[in-house]
Order: sequence, then C-alpha cells, then structure tokens
Amino acid sequence: MKMKNAGFFVLPFLFNETTLDQMPEHLSVKIEPNSAPRSFTLLDCHDQSLRAKGRFLIQSDGMLQLLRSDGQSFIQHCEAKDQFAQDLPAGPVSSALKGFPVLRALIAVGQGEIQTNSLAILDDLQKTQVRGSVWSMSTDVGQVTVVGIEKLRGYERVFAKVCAVLAEKVAQGKRFEAVYQGLFPDMRPYHAKPDIHLGKNEPSIEVAADIIRTYLAVARQNEEGVIADTDTEFLHDYRVSLRKIRSVISLFKGVFSESQTVELKQLFSELMASTGRMRDLDVYLLEKDMYFKLIPPNLHAGLQAMFEQFQEERGQEFTRLKRRLRSAAYDKTMKDLNAVFDGPSQLEPGKNAQRGAYEYACALIWKRYRKVCKLARSISENTPDDLVHDLRIDCKKLRYLMEFFAPLFHAKDFKTIIKPLKRLQDNLGLFNDFSVQQAALLSFVSRYSTTQGRVDAQIGLAVGGLIAMMNQRQRAERDRVMSSFQQFDGPDIRHLFRSLFHQTEE
Amino acid sequence: MKIIACYSNKGGVGKTATSVNLAHAYAQAGKQVLLCDLDPQGASSFYFRVKPSKKLTEARFFEDVKRFTNAIRASDFEGLDVLPANLTFRDFDVFLSRMRNKRSRLKKALTSAGSDYDVIVLDCPPNFSTLSENIFKAADEIIVPVIPTTLSERTFDQLIRFFDENKLRKKKLRAFFSMVQLRKTLHHETMENMRTAYSKRFLQNSVPFAADIEKMGQHRAPVSTYAGRSPASAAYQALYDELENGVVSSK
Repeated sequence: MKMKNAGFFVLPFLFNETTLDQMPEHLSVKIEPNSAPRSFTLLDCHDQSLRAKGRFLIQSDGMLQLLRSDGQSFIQHCEAKDQFAQDLPAGPVSSALKGFPVLRALIAVGQGEIQTNSLAILDDLQKTQVRGSVWSMSTDVGQVTVVGIEKLRGYERVFAKVCAVLAEKVAQGKRFEAVYQGLFPDMRPYHAKPDIHLGKNEPSIEVAADIIRTYLAVARQNEEGVIADTDTEFLHDYRVSLRKIRSVISLFKGVFSESQTVELKQLFSELMASTGRMRDLDVYLLEKDMYFKLIPPNLHAGLQAMFEQFQEERGQEFTRLKRRLRSAAYDKTMKDLNAVFDGPSQLEPGKNAQRGAYEYACALIWKRYRKVCKLARSISENTPDDLVHDLRIDCKKLRYLMEFFAPLFHAKDFKTIIKPLKRLQDNLGLFNDFSVQQAALLSFVSRYSTTQGRVDAQIGLAVGGLIAMMNQRQRAERDRVMSSFQQFDGPDIRHLFRSLFHQTEE
Repeated sequence: MKIIACYSNKGGVGKTATSVNLAHAYAQAGKQVLLCDLDPQGASSFYFRVKPSKKLTEARFFEDVKRFTNAIRASDFEGLDVLPANLTFRDFDVFLSRMRNKRSRLKKALTSAGSDYDVIVLDCPPNFSTLSENIFKAADEIIVPVIPTTLSERTFDQLIRFFDENKLRKKKLRAFFSMVQLRKTLHHETMENMRTAYSKRFLQNSVPFAADIEKMGQHRAPVSTYAGRSPASAAYQALYDELENGVVSSK
C-alpha cells in the first residue's frame, strides 16, 4: 500500500463479494489473495505506545507488518520475538518505528488470523482504474477489514466512487482505533498515570484511598512484566506506583490515624526496599555506554570488569525479586492491601480525614511551597550539600502533592508552575544522582577489595576516573542550583502560587 | 528530467514497441516516467489499455495546460504514466519547444505528484516527411530503431546528413538494430556495414524480430510482463541497461 493519494477504510466485517457490489456496471472488482490465511501476533509495548500513536504492528510467518493511521503500511522480514523497536533488523518497518521509546520492548498483546489480498477495479479493457489492498483480520472476539486504495492519475472519478461506497460501510468510532476495537474489544489499556477523578469537597481520606487504590492496581499490572524481565520499565513503573502510594501516606498528614500511618508507611517501604538494588543496577546497565564515554579507553578494562559484576549481581537480584513476587506471602500482602483501600471500613480516619479535598490540598501545597522557598532562599554558594539534598526532597514532595491534587485545579496554571519546578528538580536530581553514584562507586570498590583493603588495579583506576568525573558534574549542578531556583521564584510564579493555593488571606 | 525521443523517419520499424518497453524498463528501475503518445494512432496508449482522450484533439488544446495535464493517465505499472496526446504536426512542434522551456506553463505542469518526472519518453509520430528539428533539439537522447535493410540504410544516411547540415549534436543519436533476423544474410551484412560506417551512432544491443513482440497487441502490455524470460524481453532490458548505464551484456 503506497498511500500518497489514497483512501483508507476500516470495515467492521470481513471483505466479501458484496462489499463493492454497488460499483457501476462496466467496472469489475478483482480480488487476489497474496497468500493463504495465517495467524498473526499483535505486538505493542506494555504501555501500548504503538496504539496510542496510531500504529498497528503484527508479526506472522517471520514477517512484520505495520499499519499506520495515515493508511500507509510497511512490511519487512523479522523472525525474532520480544524485541525493542530500535533493535529490529533494518527495514521499512523499523524505520517507520523510529522514535519509539527505546526502553520499552515489543511484546505479544494479542493473536488473530490475517489474509491479505490485492484489490483492483478494472474497466471494460481490463485496465486498472483503482488499485488497493485488503487486510481481512479476525480474532476470537471480532473481525475487521482494512482496505487501502490508491488514486491513479486520470481515474479520479472511479476512485471517488469506490471511496463513497466504502465510506458507507466503515466501522463506527475513531478511524484507526476501530482496528483495535474491532479485533480486541476487551483489551485493557495500560496507563502508568491513570486519571483519577476527585471532587472538590470529597473527604481527604477518600481522596487518599482513591489514589492508593489506583496505584496499587498499576503496580500489580507490572508484576508479570517484572517477573518475565521483558524490559526495565516494568520494575520502574512498579516502583513509581509504590513510591506514590508511600508519598500519599506520608504527605497527607492526619488523614489516617497515626498508628495506621506508621504501619502502612513501613509496609510500602518494605515492598520498595526489595526492588531498590535491582533498579539501581538497571540504571547502571542502561547507562553503560555513557560510563564508557566518560573515561579514556585505556581505563575501559576495569570498567568492563565492573559492569560484568553489575550484570551478575543483577541476575541474583532478579532471581530474588522474582521469587518474592511469585510467593504466596507477597500475593497475600497485596490482596490485603487492596482490601484495605477498597472500602473505607478498614481505614482508621485521622483528624484531617473529613477535610474537603480542595481546602486540604491548598493548605498542604501552600505549606510545602513556603517551606521550599524558605529553604531555597537560605542556600548560598557555601551552604553544605546536605541542605541541597533537603531542598531536593522538599521539591519532590511539593511536586507529588501538586500532581495528586492536579485534577482539582486549573490545568493551564498548573502547567505554568510545574515547568520551572521541573527544571529546578532536574537540576537537583542530577546533583543527587552524581553524588549517589560516587558513593555507590566507592562502596563497589570496597566490596571488591581484599581484606587488606587492596583493590584490583584496573577496577581502581576506572572507578577513580569515574568518581572524578562524577564529582565534577556534581559541582557543576551545584553551581546551577541558585539560578534554577531564581527562575522558579519569579514574581509570576509567586503570584500564581498565591492565587491558586492561598486566596483566603488576600 | 531527461527527454528520450523514440524517433524514426521511416515507418514500421518497431518504434512504438521500443517506447513502451523502454518506458516500462525505466519505471521498473524506480524512475517516474511519462510516456507521451504523440502518435495519431495512439498505439502506445493502446498497449497500456489507456483510452484516447477525445478532448485533446481539439484545436485549442495548447491554450489550456490544465486540460493537457488532466489527460495524463496512470498505467497499470508503478511509476509509469501515459499521456495519450494525439497531436497534429504543428501542435507537436509547439509541444516540443515548450517542453524544453523551463518557464513555460506546460513544463511546469508536467509533474508527477508535485515533482518532475525523471524521464519523459516521446513516442514520436512516425511518417513525417519532414525531419523535425525540434525533436532533435528538445530530446536529450534520440533512440532510432533501424531495420538492417538497404532501404533503412538510406534513410539513416539522410538523418545523419540532416544533423550535419544543421549542425545538430549527433551524439544524441542512439540508433539500434530492430527486428533483426539473424538467419538473413542481408541483415548481417547491413549491420556490419552500418556499424563500420557509423560506429559511434549504434548501440551494441539489438532487438530481434520476435513473435513475442508482435503479441504485445494481444496482451496489451509490455513484453516483460507476459514473456519475461523471452529473448525479446531480455533484449529490451539490455537496451535499457546500455542506454542508462552504458552496460553492454556479455552474451
């Protein structure tokens, strides 16, 4: 299907002789199968980014076929399974998938059967007046035909006629989504950040329960992918969800009783703790190339040895985590937690439990904002790094609060505020990352040194080089902190914060 | 954009078959091709099952570029369009001069999906008694099929003389032997003579006299689509290779 001058139709049934029987009499319809019907596997990332971007990718008989929402289709050879889009062998499909998330693997998300046909509308001289292709696809629960037709120069009238006939038969709904909805009506989309509906006067305890319940579900949706080790983003999303839950518990002060707050906080911290090391190792391994670029090639041997250790340790961590996620105890913990937040009965309300969401949000955010400003304004060139770390944590808490309550506020204003906050956070985040990495490198060396404190020379050299680089970068980030904050602390943003979260006293 | 004219000052030499099969070979090689059927009998249009455009026979045809470009028809082959022009001699001359003028509306309008055609093949009207100087000026290459007979030798002499007299670039002339029957001694001798006399004008490849080429009328399609393995199909392909890439097959 070359679709420059083209029509593209999704029909909610399988193509047959009667589909185009309303054509004028002197024209005939010729359909020729390109191959026998064969089974296909629908591929997408776990987050359905292909679907979201209007792509439909199937694999069958060692071929990859991609359909794009503009009607263009691509085909290439590819035997391999569970791949990343950027690792596909070079070809039309892989180039059409350029720019797709590098961290997400393509996985099988559905099965079906496909028959591709070529279509030609011929006149009385057997001259082709309209050319096209027909993909007839079916699954256990639905069927869809995708017809792409090409406008041939000089035969525009017949093209328009075919378009008109097909347009009357197209599936309801958004054009491209109809392919998915027709074939996989029950497929549940995955959202790492689902929309949560909040009411302005909703009691805070219900808001907390809504958010926690939602993210518990997100975390659970990632378990399988973590266990299968499909890509690193399953664990990442799993951790982010749990971290959000933990933040709700600790930031929504007084919503749950003190004892329940302590208990829940500990529970979620434990859940997270078992994943921390593996995530760190994932990040190192993902950034491997970056590390190699940081130091000269004559130090690479030690780095290679270090990454081999990381790889091995990651294997051990993975085995441990997999066992844990599969255990009955873990399953019970998660089910119990779900039951706790599913209805308010098991929740113990604290003194703020009944405060209306909007009023409570304003109070929390305003307080946290003031704290951030106070701390940030006190930071000068000579302030110890510890305070910068504190600022990072406070900014993070502010950001979480704002994101949790975002549905209650004006979206555009929020975007305006979040942009410079995000920039400040990126700065602080890098500052922290470089500092954490230096510590991690040091602890790596001490773990792999002999009892006399001796270190393998190559590893020592490489790690030394890296630490020096990390330290330089950390200093550079540190030098930017004050100016990043000043950008966040401009009069417009100050005014916005006040008008959004602190109107009462004005 | 390259303009290739299939021309012969003698009729019945396989000119239209050459236009059709060469145009198809260029399109198969990934080029955007427009085949202009300037033959009043519409022979190349016939081979592509394209119906002649009645509108274009009207006198005011050249005043209306849009009508002209609207007459272009996609063939059944990717990248190959056909213009069933059916022109009078006077119109044909105007057509050629405008084709070369970058600023003429005709030239600007002759595009495929917004960009210039890579190759325009002109299937020129056959039985011109006068030699058309415009063809020779407009075309980048002039493909001249020559049947190796005494009569053809004389016509070709005339053509060369015309070029000499008018100081035209003879380099453009790419003649080849057409409808060659190797069992005829006369064909052999003529070919030998002409290759000696006009060594630089003749392509190495020639096209045989073949039933498969005659069958184009029945199949209404280029030879390679219905007789892909035939010597005739190979001959046109070789002709294309030699024209386009200077490659002469070793057989």
